[in-house]
Amino acid sequence: MSRRFRQHPAWVPYFWAGPFLLVFAVFLAYPMLLSVKMAFHQNAGPRVAEYVGTQNFSWMMGDPLFWTAVRNTAVFAAASVFIQLPASLGLALLLNRPQLRARGFWRAIFFAPVLVGLPFVAILAGLVFEKNTGLLNVALHEFTSLEVTLPRKIGGQTLGVPFTFDIEFPWLQSYVMPTLIISAFWMYVGFNMVYFLAALQNVDKSQLEAAEIDGANAWHRFVNVTLPAIRPVASFVVLLSLIGSFQLFELPYLLLQETAGPNNQGLTLVMYLYQQGFDRGDLGYASAVGWVLAIVLFGFAIAQQVYGRLRGADL
Amino acid sequence: MASHAFIHWVRGLGLGIGPGVIALLAVVSTAAVLAWPRPERGGLEFWTFAPHHTRMYEPVIESWNQKAGSDHPDRQRVSLSTLSTGALAQRAQAGFWAQTPTADLIEVEQPMIGRFVAGPIDEVGFHDLTDRLREEGIDQRLNPASFAPWTSRGRVFGLPHDVHPVLLCYRADLVEAAGIDVDAIETWDDFERLMRPLIADLDGDGKNDRYLLGLWYTSLDDLQVLLLQAGGGTFDAEGGSLIASEANARVIARVVTWCLGPGRIAIDAPEFSPSGNQLKLEGRVVAALMPDWLAGVWINALPGLSGKLKLMPIPAWEPGGRRTSVRGGTMLAIPRTTRDFDAAWAFAKELYLSPDLARELFVTNHIISPIMDLWDEPYYAERSAYFSGQRSGLAYIEQALNVPPRSSSPFHQTAMQRILDTTARLHAYAQDNGVHDDQALLPEARRLLAQTEARVLEEMQRNVFIAGGWRR
Repeated sequence: MSRRFRQHPAWVPYFWAGPFLLVFAVFLAYPMLLSVKMAFHQNAGPRVAEYVGTQNFSWMMGDPLFWTAVRNTAVFAAASVFIQLPASLGLALLLNRPQLRARGFWRAIFFAPVLVGLPFVAILAGLVFEKNTGLLNVALHEFTSLEVTLPRKIGGQTLGVPFTFDIEFPWLQSYVMPTLIISAFWMYVGFNMVYFLAALQNVDKSQLEAAEIDGANAWHRFVNVTLPAIRPVASFVVLLSLIGSFQLFELPYLLLQETAGPNNQGLTLVMYLYQQGFDRGDLGYASAVGWVLAIVLFGFAIAQQVYGRLRGADL
Repeated sequence: MASHAFIHWVRGLGLGIGPGVIALLAVVSTAAVLAWPRPERGGLEFWTFAPHHTRMYEPVIESWNQKAGSDHPDRQRVSLSTLSTGALAQRAQAGFWAQTPTADLIEVEQPMIGRFVAGPIDEVGFHDLTDRLREEGIDQRLNPASFAPWTSRGRVFGLPHDVHPVLLCYRADLVEAAGIDVDAIETWDDFERLMRPLIADLDGDGKNDRYLLGLWYTSLDDLQVLLLQAGGGTFDAEGGSLIASEANARVIARVVTWCLGPGRIAIDAPEFSPSGNQLKLEGRVVAALMPDWLAGVWINALPGLSGKLKLMPIPAWEPGGRRTSVRGGTMLAIPRTTRDFDAAWAFAKELYLSPDLARELFVTNHIISPIMDLWDEPYYAERSAYFSGQRSGLAYIEQALNVPPRSSSPFHQTAMQRILDTTARLHAYAQDNGVHDDQALLPEARRLLAQTEARVLEEMQRNVFIAGGWRR
């Protein structure tokens, strides 16, 4: 095999890489370089531009909407890392147990939402979280209408007070971020589970057995053997999840019907960029936002690398 | 033999068989794509965003196309395409940006227009029709307010399709059964006071299910209707800001109190949604703000309400005040990249000024034509079975000239969105502090709107192309 490759003329690699390099140069490298220039201009479409120096960046830093977008995106990213990923790991641990029956079936079930696609998840979530007729509100309302009581202190005594879930609970009006987090959780928990499952299957069984013989309980085995073994994959999944979260756009855009929701509760950084660039035509400002976003993501990647090296994890 | 020759040849190139086949396929497919005959673009291309417009226009276009050619050499054949609203806006914008041909005629919906007029006036992608309209007297034939959304810095960029006055549609069966006399309703205060008995707990769970108004503080369209009716909105005709106006403060404070607390009268029953339609069919919405086009939507989508509804002028904000408003709108514009402006203009007039189309517009979609000299046509005076035998066309025409003016500022949509966000913040404030009275909410409404106005004005000042506001 290697001899055959050595026989190839020198131009062959360039021949095969050529189409990609051409596409890369035209559709990625050139636009990226151009966007650096545009970030210092104000635009009305791509052809009408005026140099504004660093004004785009200073306006961005003073724009409350930008900071709303940053906050919303950060909350979503934090939920992805601290809620979604532990749940994915938990699921992976459960589905990695040899004694579990029909493991393949359960794995497919949990992975299935990824196959649905984000636009459909947004449409489904709209039906689920709608008030008055949404599946979730109706179900909770019906269920609590049966005989649910909540403890409440009345006159020094704790009494059971009937509780009925409000069928008008405003998920999409007042609880936009929790709604987005739940929807993304449903979609991505199975996806991340697959990474963890793959990592768990590579954990050295003999180390686990040795730990068990040495008297380590399940928790200690997990913390001291499993977790270090899957750390490289876990850090990769964390980075992937962070990048994905900072690129969040379609889910809120479609779920909130092409808006950022009441009082911009669903405004994300990419949506902010889209609004500025495509709704208003200021591609210069959108480029500036894009570069800030790219720097943030680059920062995450660097931090993850540094952390990995400090922990001795070799990716 | 040929295969052997090919294998020999690719080996000679230093490629393996697999890569050789891939390279060959790439070359052949590229050649096929380049050689594929491209259909010649002939005649005029026309894009619309509404399938019901398509259905209306097809007969007109068919008749136009039959006459095009030998009988009328000045006429060009027209081909109509229906695109989704988003796709149409994106394609048109991309074409304007790249200066590549789009269509020869494009129907534009009101919320889209801001993006097309956001830059310098001579960079707008549509032909300026102002002088043509004036020279041909068309501006005198059409309802003046209908031009407002399509006018930027004094220049008109499209032929208006409609007027879209708004009335209040109410459940006559429920209102009349309760013995309520709607003629006694002149203001929103009257409406709340007289209609309140209709708020009801229908399923006996201790919580009201039926409310007086299908409207919510998160709906930009409904809020805009009320702001315009009250004399507020975003910008006045001279471009001055109305964002922090007293009218806006009063309206948003009132709308918030309609949606929470003991004074609540509204229910969130969005249009074009199964949930909203279900609420309407179940009788949980007593009244709704209804532009003429929405009446057409209800007639087609909610036939179960036929004979149960009536229309009345919107209650005013004060005695003697305006009893209508406006919502939505469409224009027909001609992009600068059209290959034949005169042919496109001829067709645009034929289509939009056609009495037959005006009739069709009303009969199939309940839309009032902006052509004022057609308002005496008998079809507008026919009784509508859907609206309990009312002359619904006349009801809209009676209010057509009272439709409030709308801003055509490139910043209108941004400003309106900010007012909506402000209303959401006021709602949160009312909820957190238990303030359920609109008078008590007014100071906070004024404060929040003043903040919003300052920010919008800053954004406008930042725009180097229209610096100092769009007045220049």
